[in-house]
Amino acid sequence: MATAVTKLTPEVKAMVGVQGEFVEASWWVVEKEGLRRFCQALMDPDPRYWDDEFARTTRYGEVVAPHIYVSYLGRTSPSAGDPVSRAFKEDPVSDGIGGVWEARGGLPNVPTDLKRILNAGNELEVYQLPTLGDRIYCQSRYASIAERTGTDGSPMLIVTTETAYYNQRGDLLCVTRASAIRR
Amino acid sequence: MPTAEELRSKKQVHYDDVKEGQEMPPYVIGPITPTHIFRWSAAIENWHRIHYDQDFAVYHDGLPNVVAQGTWKQSVMPQYLKDLCLPDGWAWKVSFQHRAMIVPGDTLTCHAKVTKRYVKEGLGFVELEVGMKNQDDVETCPGSGTIVLPLRGGRPVPYPFVPPKE
Repeated sequence: MATAVTKLTPEVKAMVGVQGEFVEASWWVVEKEGLRRFCQALMDPDPRYWDDEFARTTRYGEVVAPHIYVSYLGRTSPSAGDPVSRAFKEDPVSDGIGGVWEARGGLPNVPTDLKRILNAGNELEVYQLPTLGDRIYCQSRYASIAERTGTDGSPMLIVTTETAYYNQRGDLLCVTRASAIRR
Repeated sequence: MPTAEELRSKKQVHYDDVKEGQEMPPYVIGPITPTHIFRWSAAIENWHRIHYDQDFAVYHDGLPNVVAQGTWKQSVMPQYLKDLCLPDGWAWKVSFQHRAMIVPGDTLTCHAKVTKRYVKEGLGFVELEVGMKNQDDVETCPGSGTIVLPLRGGRPVPYPFVPPKE
């Protein structure tokens, strides 16, 4: 009788707890124009994010940004060249993301032959909001890796990555956990 | 969704105002268009073609259309909880799974129902079942959240937020 081969190998298990570098999340500070574009795309018209006068009357005392904004600051530095052109030069049918976007302080890859990656879910804890001019720092780690069986009987891994974000004073802003299905 | 003026003048909901089983006010978003989806990709510089290149989404990835980003849902759900708490409560935690895809034409309703409430260290903690359903009542991201509300006449919710000791 055939025995199912586990994908949760000792090498995969050893990744739990592995941390990336503590790095600055962005090449630039939290600034008003990037925040405007983000909030309009989010469809959040909250004046706490753009109206200086009103923001001074709130508990924050100044314009703040949605906490989740910090997780999108890893934009391409001008010094990194043009990753989009590079990706399509290497692969004319690039999906536009492979080889284009790389997280700063990225974690080493999980050693598995399960190549397909699906976004399974997110978890957020919020403590403080970023403000204009803040420099944002972050550190990621593999929080957990579990094995599941798909509805078709195929094995899959649920890989949860935790990232903590801080401002330049070392204040914890938020913690995000993203779970990905590897199958 | 609330307007800027509504968010500016929102009155505080207190812990005393909510009951277990209560449905919180919903958000309705949409209909979502390809332009909304593209605008999000541009704002966060996510160049994955399934979000703006319909031929690629349909013929390469086998999707029904361009699809909204998981990152957008990840941002809208905390926004919804934040607005429930304004001006001085705190949307502490939210978690959810990604289920059904969101495609152009969808109208979405963010919803929350109180599952548990308790007082700790003088603050009101309200646990919620949350999600975002489309116009066909299909759940796109079921999950849960915890918001912190002041008690009527109680101490303010601290900012920066300090979680209670276990």
